[in-house]
Amino acid sequence: DRQTLVAVLQFLRRSNLRESEEILRREARLLGDDLGAAALSPASAGLLGGSGSDADSGEALLGRGAGAAAVAIGSSVATVATSSPGVAAVATVPPGKGETRGRCGVGASSRRDPWELGCPCAGVSPWCWNTRIGAVVVEDQPDVSAVLSAYNQQGDPTLYEEYYSGLKHFIECSLDCHRAELSQLFYPLFVHMYLELVYNQHESEAKSFFERFHGDQECYYQDDLRVLSSLTKKEHMKGNETMLDFRTSKFVLRISRDSYQLLKRHLQEKQNNQIWNIVQEHLYIDIFDGMPRSKQQIDAMVGSLAGEAKREANKAKVFFGLLKEPEFDVPLDDEDEEGENEEGKPKKKKPKKDNVGSKSKKQDPNAPPQNRIPLPELKDSDKLDKVMNMKEAARRVRLGPECLPSICFYTFLNAYQGLTAVDITDDSSMIVGGFADSTVRVWSVTPKKLRSVKTAADLSLIDKESDDVLERIMDEKTASELKILYGHSGPVYGTSFSPDRNYLLSCSEDGTVRLWSLQTFTCLVGYKGHNYPVWDTQFSPYGYYFVSGGHDRVARLWATDHYQPLRIFAGHLADVTCTRFHPNSNYIATGSADRTIRLWDVLNGNCVRIFTGHKGPIHSLAFSPNGRFLATGATDGRVLLWDIGHGLMVGELKGHTDTIYALRFSRDGEILASGSMDNTVRLWDAVKAFEDLETDDFTTATGHINLPENSQDLLLGTYMTKSTPVVHLHFTRRNLLLAAGAYSSQ
Amino acid sequence: MEAAKMASPKSAPKDAQVMAQILKDMGITEYEPRVINQMLEFAYRYVTTILEDAKIYSSHAKKSSVDADDVRLAIQCRTDQSFTSPPPRDFLLDIARQKNQTPLPLIKPYSGPRLPPDRYCLTAPNYRLKALQKKVSSTAGRITVPRLSVGAVSSRPSTPTLGTPSAQTVSVSAKVGAPVSLAGQRFTVQIPSSQPAGKSATPTTPTVQNVLINPSLIGPKNILITTNMVSQGTASEPNPLKRKHEDEDDYDTL
Repeated sequence: DRQTLVAVLQFLRRSNLRESEEILRREARLLGDDLGAAALSPASAGLLGGSGSDADSGEALLGRGAGAAAVAIGSSVATVATSSPGVAAVATVPPGKGETRGRCGVGASSRRDPWELGCPCAGVSPWCWNTRIGAVVVEDQPDVSAVLSAYNQQGDPTLYEEYYSGLKHFIECSLDCHRAELSQLFYPLFVHMYLELVYNQHESEAKSFFERFHGDQECYYQDDLRVLSSLTKKEHMKGNETMLDFRTSKFVLRISRDSYQLLKRHLQEKQNNQIWNIVQEHLYIDIFDGMPRSKQQIDAMVGSLAGEAKREANKAKVFFGLLKEPEFDVPLDDEDEEGENEEGKPKKKKPKKDNVGSKSKKQDPNAPPQNRIPLPELKDSDKLDKVMNMKEAARRVRLGPECLPSICFYTFLNAYQGLTAVDITDDSSMIVGGFADSTVRVWSVTPKKLRSVKTAADLSLIDKESDDVLERIMDEKTASELKILYGHSGPVYGTSFSPDRNYLLSCSEDGTVRLWSLQTFTCLVGYKGHNYPVWDTQFSPYGYYFVSGGHDRVARLWATDHYQPLRIFAGHLADVTCTRFHPNSNYIATGSADRTIRLWDVLNGNCVRIFTGHKGPIHSLAFSPNGRFLATGATDGRVLLWDIGHGLMVGELKGHTDTIYALRFSRDGEILASGSMDNTVRLWDAVKAFEDLETDDFTTATGHINLPENSQDLLLGTYMTKSTPVVHLHFTRRNLLLAAGAYSSQ
Repeated sequence: MEAAKMASPKSAPKDAQVMAQILKDMGITEYEPRVINQMLEFAYRYVTTILEDAKIYSSHAKKSSVDADDVRLAIQCRTDQSFTSPPPRDFLLDIARQKNQTPLPLIKPYSGPRLPPDRYCLTAPNYRLKALQKKVSSTAGRITVPRLSVGAVSSRPSTPTLGTPSAQTVSVSAKVGAPVSLAGQRFTVQIPSSQPAGKSATPTTPTVQNVLINPSLIGPKNILITTNMVSQGTASEPNPLKRKHEDEDDYDTL
């Protein structure tokens, strides 16, 4: 409160309302050595200006933001005087939500008497005053116009170009080591200044500002800039959710302390208050102590719509280990001698998964507790499936640089560019294709045809006591290799088989996710929640749960027996394009069109990791079988590898020239296969990519990475198809690679 | 995707050239040539709607001519109506916070197929409307068309789904097989009069695979044929040229 009062007094002083000031000072019996006042003066000044026009409570004004303030201030120097009785009321309003602002020429950290410190331009240039008022951050605004109103009149529009070029000049003249880091400022500043000009309806200035500087930005921002160039009027901004989110969320920059000091000093010396205001208002500068980063390091990590990730966003503990396999009796099978024990001995567990350095009896410290999230129990059919899995695993080919997998490609013919989603069951017995004509087609890959359950009339005729009743309930007459499922009313963008092969999920542009039964080949449930196109869906590795992500920028966790989602993962700035479960089903990775990947905790919905670095929307995600690493592919043609435990980027695989739509690790995690729109499948050496990770304290503390340029060494093979983009990849249980795509004649 | 074929300046109308230029400015380089037509059609329709709305608003305000405010109001109203955008971020964060507070529900073991309560599933038995007058039919197991449905079903054979044609038709796409027979699966095929059977059947080939379409049915009028997958009888109707909304044959008795 004291600070607020000081600020108010200061304001009055500036406006030459000495009488009011004296009155208030006397009333408050203030001493003029409050420092925080400097920072809070804009907030209070905003309040004051608001009260000038509206005698409501200051709290409401703070909520309404600077919009009212700016308007008021421009016209109400006189009315301020009349509102001096109101000032006292205003002054008692707690500072509340405003953040510290830099004032004209005064850094928030300077510890001088605000009365003595004159604003260098007080009373000289009218815009300076406005700047101070306007620079109030308005937080938590449900009202869009209030949100936008933080962009109110901010200074002389014709001078924006000068500010920007002044900063540009400064940065270009700075030392090499700092230049790369400070250049990160260009893009967010450019966008925010442009949006300010547009919001304040200075169209011609905005246009010329754009023309002049948009070419200087990094190439990977070009798509955003193109969208920006279409926003020329204030009305355009209202409908664009992504731009609104961009404006309200803080763009994060990681800058070393030295570079930051340099920048701060420069901006406070000169009259570049505008830029300093924007920096304070819209940018979050994550300062670290250490060497400034090189351009290469920076380029690897930037590119997302919200800058990089704050370091503390990646500090939460993530249980990336795998859940223990349950022990059960393996039925004795005379055909097969290898790899089988009678009782549930520890040895059984090895062929299945690769628990990193943990014995089966000891609890892996990195694995989540077994009952952290409720999981469905293991049914008899599941146990049989596991036994089959183990038998197959025993016959699995061990892959490596010397032993590459054979690739079997399933080409969808006559799809007329309508194939939009593919999935293959874990045991590789069925393929499903989702199409743009809203059909879902299921094929049997094995000679065994697809059978549906008989009709009720026929079911009443069979002998229920016979041993092979499960065979008898299936209808032989309608058995076929292909079954078509109708139900969606829009293109089907994602499909997923359940692990027990009883259910199929499909998500579509009509906003629903449908659950189909693979025993009757009919639709069972339509889950409505997203009201906008749903781009991807996946069943959990244990069944029962599934995740979906769509255009409404959230991912939702569902259970098959709840008609509403159990969890909502909100945080992305743009559409969620890809959703995947971690092998232990406790975490969900979502890739988005805002070029970040987020890892969410299923238990409480928190975002535990944010990975930035891609320069285009992410379209494919793959967890390594041991659960430690994540591979991601995007439209920029790069595959990035991430260490989940430390939250760092550990590898970059360059080679593809077009969007990567398919990524898959081999069954034991030795090979990473990637398929792309450039009609190729590439195999990469995963073992080599993940060995020798430098995870010393400095790296984990600062998030610096030094990526080796070893894409060429890691590439094991490139396999070209004849004009068939690769949409899906799948390693069979024996490590044969299956690929799927639709032939597109050019 | 076919490469963009820019129409030669001589033949393309000015509007098409402008649209092509807009696409180029927005960075879209590869598109089928029909996209320009579709975009133009959308643009004409949108502008016409807005201007009509604006005229209504200005006449409501008793103004002599349409001015910018009217247009602005018209745009705003239409935007809220047709072009809804996803909810804003803080709203999403709010509901996410609420939703994520409840713990995950425990899973009851051995509870069969885990599906939501029946009213949220599509597993209900199918219902049909009965015609008021029954007519004796020669073949059993043939179809029905309720009297309400013709004319209301859209006549676009290329409609992507056949499971959701319109509220009036009774066809329902899914049932769980156990209690009721699978005879309930119905597909509605409307064959517009102007097209021969073969051509119209082609886009809907997947659905008519089990249908016998008697060419004699195809007449100058629209004919609505609901086919039963298990139908054994021929689909010959007593009065093929009569509109189907008149008396229809018996319904399948289950």
